[in-house]
This record gives sequence, C-alpha cells and structure tokens, in this order.
Amino acid sequence: MINRRRKKVASRISKALEMPEEVSSRAPKLTILKFEEVLIENYKGILEYQDFFVRIQTYIGIININGFKLSLEEMTVDDVIVKGKIESIDFESIVENEEG
Amino acid sequence: MYIKILIYYLFGYVNVIVEGFFIEKFMNMCISKRIFFWNTKRSKSTVFSANIGVGNYKEVAKIAKKCQCKIKINKKHGLPFLLNRYRKRKIFAITLGVIVIGIIAISNFIWNIEITGVDETKQKEIMEFIQTEGVDIGKYKNNIDLQNLINKIRIQRDDVAWVGMEIKGTNLVIQVVEADEKPEIIDENEYCNIVADKDGIITKIEAQNGTPIVSEGDTVKKGDILVQGWLEGKYTENRYVHAEGQVTAKVWYSEKEKVYYTQNYANQTGNKEKKYSININNFKINLFKTLSNFENYDTIRTIKKLKITSNFYLPIEIIVNENFEKQNNQVVYDKNEAKEIGIKDLKSKLEQQIQNTENISNIYINTNETEEYIEVEVIYEVLESIGTKEKIEY
Repeated sequence: MINRRRKKVASRISKALEMPEEVSSRAPKLTILKFEEVLIENYKGILEYQDFFVRIQTYIGIININGFKLSLEEMTVDDVIVKGKIESIDFESIVENEEG
Repeated sequence: MYIKILIYYLFGYVNVIVEGFFIEKFMNMCISKRIFFWNTKRSKSTVFSANIGVGNYKEVAKIAKKCQCKIKINKKHGLPFLLNRYRKRKIFAITLGVIVIGIIAISNFIWNIEITGVDETKQKEIMEFIQTEGVDIGKYKNNIDLQNLINKIRIQRDDVAWVGMEIKGTNLVIQVVEADEKPEIIDENEYCNIVADKDGIITKIEAQNGTPIVSEGDTVKKGDILVQGWLEGKYTENRYVHAEGQVTAKVWYSEKEKVYYTQNYANQTGNKEKKYSININNFKINLFKTLSNFENYDTIRTIKKLKITSNFYLPIEIIVNENFEKQNNQVVYDKNEAKEIGIKDLKSKLEQQIQNTENISNIYINTNETEEYIEVEVIYEVLESIGTKEKIEY
C-alpha cells in the first residue's frame, strides 16, 4: 500500500513537471521502425533469445517478438534494439489493475 | 554505433562462440557489467556468437564460466591483429613511414603558381615581381605573407584593381582583376576644344557650341583643333565655352603586302614520335635521345605537373615532346591569284581595325608587279566622326 502511494506521488510530481513518463517511471517505450527494427527502452533483461523468438522482460511485463533472423543490437543497460523480420509483437502484463 | 565499432576495430575485437544452456543469463550478465557486444547470432538454441572487444574478453570468459558455458574465439579482427600479422615486414613499414613523412614534408612547400585573370605578358610581369619579393616555386609555405604581397602588387601596379591570393595545398593561386582604363570625362561646366583624333579630310562639320576653325575639304592631322572652345566677340572679350559638335571626315586605312608567286609551305606527313623527359626542380632527365629521326619537323611540347590531388602538386614535371614530320612543298601562283590572295588577306586585316564597316565609302586597290612578287595595297576610305573633346589648358 505504502509503495503504491509513493508511486502515485511520484507520478503526480512528474506530471506537474511535464516530464516524459518513461523517464520518471520505468515504463518501457517501444519504437518500431518499419517491420524490421524495434527499439525497447527501459527493459530489465533478456529472458529468451532465439533466431525466431525474443522474449524481453520489462518492469510491467514481458514483450514477445516473433520473426525471422532476429538479432539483438546496441545493448545497453537501459535499451536494446531487435532487428530482423518481425512478424508479431505481443505483451504479457504482470501488473494487476492499479486503478482501484 | 558505427563509431563505437570503429574504435573497437582500432583496438581489436574478437568473434566469440558461446555454447551452453544459459545463454540468456550470460547475455544479461554481460549487459549488467556494461560489456558492449554486437553482431549477435543464434545459429542453434545452444550456440551463440557475438563480437566483443579484446579488453573485455577476460571478463566475458569469467561470466561464461559462471553460466556454465563454453567460450571459444572464432576469429580475431582489428588493427592490432593485422599489424601483428605484418610484424616481420620491417622494410615495408619503414618505407611506408618514409613515404608518409616525405609527403608531409613536401606538402609544406609551394610547387605551382597559377595566375588567372590577365593575359600572358602580365602574368609574366606579376610572376617576376613576386619572385623578386621572394615568393617562388619551392618556397616554404608558412613563410609567405600573402597580405603583404597583395598590398605590394596593388601599390606597384596601376592596372590591377584587385588581387586575391590563396594557397591551396601546394598550389599558390593568384587571381587578378584588371582595372579598366577610364576614358577622361570632361565635365559639362569645363571649357574644352574639339580635336581631331585621326588624320583625314573634313566632309561635314556641325558646331553646336564654339567656333569652327576648319571647313569642309580641309585636311587635318591628328591633334588639330577642329572646334575652338571660345567665342570671339567684337566688343566683348573672349568667352570660353564647352565646345560641342559633330565632325565627320574621310579617313584612310591602308595596308601593304608582298605576295610572292612561288611560295613554300610545310605539310605534315602524319609521322610522329614522342619523347619523354622528366624535370625535377630544373634537373632534366631525358628518357630518349633528344635528336629527332626526322629532318624537318614541328615540335609540340606539353608539360604536365604531377599532382596527387587537384591541389597537391609535386615538384616533378613530365615533359612530352611530340615531333611531327613535315614536308616542304612549293606552290606557284599566277598574277591574278596572287593578287586575290593579297587582297583577301589585307581586307580581313583592315576590317579588324575599322570599328564600323557600314561607313566604308570607297575601296582602292593598288598593285605593283615585279618578276618575283606582286605588291598589293588596299586602302579603305571610311567616313568617321573624328572629334574628341580636349580640355583647354591655360
């Protein structure tokens, strides 16, 4: 409960300061270029990496990327680029309804 | 990204193959230790390959051990490995160094001076002038004070409106803009005469202001006053005015030429030979014998300056002498042909002198025949306005 309240305060402050949300919270931001490149910012780690399937853990869930000849590039602590022929992207949210 | 890879190339990188069941764990640990790797490939579910920097290899190997993965170097890339391969070729490295140092040393001197904007005689004059000022081919580039030189040229020469100098590589480019000579314009309020600027016979004189002192049919010489710039009154003193008027006169232009009946002219046979020689700072090396195989020949000499880039001239010139063999032929003209040739020649010469060919009123042709040649004289009679204003000097 306390944790959740603290988060709310933080998000309010950041809203008041008009900060981009992905900076203040650790929400992932996806930038998709064509169907060949996905930049994922604010990720936590790589769960699975195959030629045809990439699973990336973020703070609010898991991002699954299906495709062919996928490769990971420009990996830093905060962001990663997945390159290759991307077929589909789907998410598995692990955060329960916070709105209540 | 590419710059990062380039830096890794300079320091060397290796392509490693990691084999094991915990590849993802291995990757995550690498990332959390801020190890940069690129060109990742997952060929099988247990095999993973990527490029990593040489300096990171020990750390990566440690991580791989922790993750129970096998690590193997597949290929070594980058400059250190490349240099290692050529380590034994010392002379090659030394000559490479000598060449680089040589080029750097050579590029500090001027090897070519280019003057644009003026004709050849003035180019020569300017060239001589800058040579007396100590700027010449083969001078050290940094010792040249261009601004000073520009100022000196502009002070010394009146016919130069602007000089620009620039050192481009080993090339000194001098751009010159010539000043137009201004015609002397006489102010409306000043007093002047009208003076003949050519010899001729007056055909028409109209004075709008001033006293005409010549009349129709008078022969005038260059410099004679045609319309006086003052009015003489019976009761008043001389009153000076700005003379104005039109003076037209017959002016003659003539040219003479001797046309010989038998003429020699050279004809190229089409045989040619090329002779190369190399000129290094006025030291000439002939690659062939300089004597030609032909008895009569024309020579066309082309000098090429060697340059590396468009502005990097080297102090080496290649001289190509092309010799064209020629034959002497004789042609015999009869009188009429010789006359026609002479007239045609002279007419084209004269027509260049005359500004307005429409005003030609008469053409006279005189011929004088001898046994060897015919002398042709062509005279153009032209109606021209010959008056120019000249200020009255007291």
